[in-house]
Amino acid sequence: MPEETADVVIVGAGAAGAAFAWSLAETRMKIVCLEQGGWMNPAEYPSSRADWELRGFGDFGLSPNARGRPEDYPINDAESPIAISNFNAVGGSTILYAAHFPRFHPSDFRAHTLDGVGDDWPIQYETLEPYYDENARMMGVAGLAGDPAYPPKQVPLPPVPLGKLGETLGRGFNRLGWHWWPSDSAIATVEHAGRAPCVNLGPCLTGCAQGAKGSTDVTYWPEAVRRGVELRTHCRVREITVGENDMADGVIYYDAEGVERRQKAEVVVIACNGVGTPRLLLNSRTAHFPEGIANRSGLVGRNLMFHPYAMVQGVFDEALDGYKGPMGCCIMSQEFYETDPGRDFVRGYSFEITRGMGPVGAAISGMSSGSVPWGPDHHRSYADLFNRTTGMVVICEDLPEPQNRVSLDPELTDSNGIPAPKIHYRLSENSERMLEHGVARGREVLEAAGARETSAQAPLPFAGWHLMGTARMGSDPSRSVVNEWGRSHDVRNLFIIDGSIFVTAGAVNPTNTIQALALFIADQIKQRLDSLFD
Amino acid sequence: MAADTASSEISETQMRLFAGVLDAIIPPGEGGAHPGAGEIGLGEILLQKVPELTPVLVQGLAVLREELENRQVADFAALAEDEKHALLEQVGVREPGFLPGLLFHTYANYYQQPRVLEALGLEARPPYPRGYELEAGDLNLLDPVRKRPRLYRRC
Repeated sequence: MPEETADVVIVGAGAAGAAFAWSLAETRMKIVCLEQGGWMNPAEYPSSRADWELRGFGDFGLSPNARGRPEDYPINDAESPIAISNFNAVGGSTILYAAHFPRFHPSDFRAHTLDGVGDDWPIQYETLEPYYDENARMMGVAGLAGDPAYPPKQVPLPPVPLGKLGETLGRGFNRLGWHWWPSDSAIATVEHAGRAPCVNLGPCLTGCAQGAKGSTDVTYWPEAVRRGVELRTHCRVREITVGENDMADGVIYYDAEGVERRQKAEVVVIACNGVGTPRLLLNSRTAHFPEGIANRSGLVGRNLMFHPYAMVQGVFDEALDGYKGPMGCCIMSQEFYETDPGRDFVRGYSFEITRGMGPVGAAISGMSSGSVPWGPDHHRSYADLFNRTTGMVVICEDLPEPQNRVSLDPELTDSNGIPAPKIHYRLSENSERMLEHGVARGREVLEAAGARETSAQAPLPFAGWHLMGTARMGSDPSRSVVNEWGRSHDVRNLFIIDGSIFVTAGAVNPTNTIQALALFIADQIKQRLDSLFD
Repeated sequence: MAADTASSEISETQMRLFAGVLDAIIPPGEGGAHPGAGEIGLGEILLQKVPELTPVLVQGLAVLREELENRQVADFAALAEDEKHALLEQVGVREPGFLPGLLFHTYANYYQQPRVLEALGLEARPPYPRGYELEAGDLNLLDPVRKRPRLYRRC
C-alpha cells in the first residue's frame, strides 16, 4: 500500500503542537501529529485515590528517569545541578504543569538592547499580543485585569481564590510595599468551553481529575481533532529525513508495536520541547547535515536555558488551608522582575506563591529536613508544620550561554534504541546572585506576613520544568537556527515551534509564550502559503 | 555477623517486634489523640504495599533481636522511648539500609490512614471528586498595588 503524504507532520502533541495543529487545521490541509505518549485517562489521576500524594513520587513523578513510563525516554542529566522534568502524553508536560500562566514582559524581547545581555528576539511583545489573547480564550485563563506589572491584557475568567493563605501573603507584600497580584492561571474557575470548574483539589501537578486545568488534551486537542487533524499516539519519531535538495520529506518513527514506519510530508514541524527537539535534530544526520539537520550554525542544542528556582518556605502560627486550591496558582510578585542597576545581577525574577502540602507531603518534607523527627517528638513537630507551612518559588531568568547545551549521550538509548539526550549545564554567577537575592527577599516577605521561621533551598534540583533556547530564532543564520517565524534557516520546509526557539528565557513560566509563538507561526504559515519555501 | 540474611519471610514474632518498631517511630500521641503506627496495623500495610521493603526489614529485625538478646531485654515495647530510639539507631548503624526506607514508607503510609487523617481534623478521603471550599479572599487588599505606576518597561 503506498504511503500517503501528509501536507504537514507535527512531532509532539504537547503545549505547542496542540495550539499549532488547532490553528493550522482551518486550512483543511492533511495534518498528522505523531506523539510518543497516549491519551491520559483523568479517572486514573492520583487525586481520586488515597495514595494521591505518594504517586507524585512514582508513576506521576516529575523526572522521566525515575518515572520510567513506557512512553518516557531517558535523559542523562547527571552532570546538571537541575534535573529535567517533563511528561510524555497527549498534552505533553501540560498534564503535570501547575498551569501558572503569565506572559513575558515587553522587555523580555529586548534583553540585549536594554541590558546588554543575551540577544534581542526578532519579534516583540506586540507581535505576540493577539496570540496571547487567543491562547487565553482557548486555554481558559483565570486572572484579574489591571496588573501594573503588565500592559493591559485580556483575562477571560475570574481569578483563582486567594484563600487564607493568599490573603496572608498579600498582606506581607503590602507591608513591604511590594507588588503582588493574583496569578494568571490556565484553570477554569467557572465552567468554560465544556470544562468543569475547579473545585480546589490541590494536586494539579499530578494531573487534573476534574478537567478544570488547561492541559492541551482537554483544550486544543479535542477541537483540533474535530477540525480534521489526525493524532497518532504511541508513535516515537526517530529522525527527520531530508532529500538531496535540503528539503525535509518526512519522518521515520516507531509505532505502538515498535514497527518502523515512515510518514512523508510536505512540511515537518517539530514541537518536542527544549530537550526533545535538539535530540531529534541531532539524531537526524545526512551527508549534507553531518552534525544534525538544521544545524549549520552549530547552535542546535546550545544555549539551553532553565529557570533556576529557589524555594523559600515559612511556618506560621495559624492554619492556612494550604492543601486546598491549585498548588502552583495563588498570587505572584514581580517586584524584582526588571533590571535594577543597583543590584549585583542583571535581569530579574518572579515570586510564585505556592500553597501548602498535603499530610503525606508535609510528613516526608519534614522528615527530609529533620523538622519532623521520628520518636517521641513526632506529633508535636508535625502539628507545628502541617497546614501551617507555605511559601514561594523564586523563578530566575537564565541567560543564554553556549556551553549549556543538549547533546546525544554516546551510550544511553530509549526503548527503541534511539540515542538519548545528555544535559550539560552549570549555573551562571548571575543566576547564583539572583537566587541569593530572591531567597533573602522571600524570607523578608514571609516574615512580614507573620512567619515564625523560614527555610530555603536553592537551586531546586528537580525543577527543570522549563526547557528553552536550544534552537533559537533570529534573522542571522549564523547566530540562530530558525528565522523570525520559526522556519529553519537550513531546511526551508522545517519549522520549530516549541521553547527551543526562545532567544531569552524571561522570568516566568513559559507555556503561555510557547503557545502564543506556536499560534503566531501557524498564522505566518497560513499567510505565506504561496511563498512558504522561498 | 549473626543475622540470618537468607530469609525474606517474616514470622509472627517478627511482626510483633515490627509493630513495636513502628510504634517507636510514630508513637501514640499523648491522651490517645493520635494512634501509633504499629497500633493501626501499619506493618501489615507496608508488607503488602511495599514488598521490596521486606528483605531489608527482615534483616534489620534480626539485628534488632540480636541487640535485644545482647542486652538481655525480652520486650522491645517495654523499653523507654529514648532506649528504643538509641537501639534503633544502633540497628541503623549495623544495617545502613534499614532505617531510611522504613522511615520513608512509614511516614508516607501512616498519613494516608483514615484514623490518622481524622485525628488531624481532616476528612478521610482523597481530594477528588468533592474537592474543597476555598474563600475567594479580599481583593481590596490589592488597592495599594493598583495605585502604583506601571512596573514594566516600555520598549
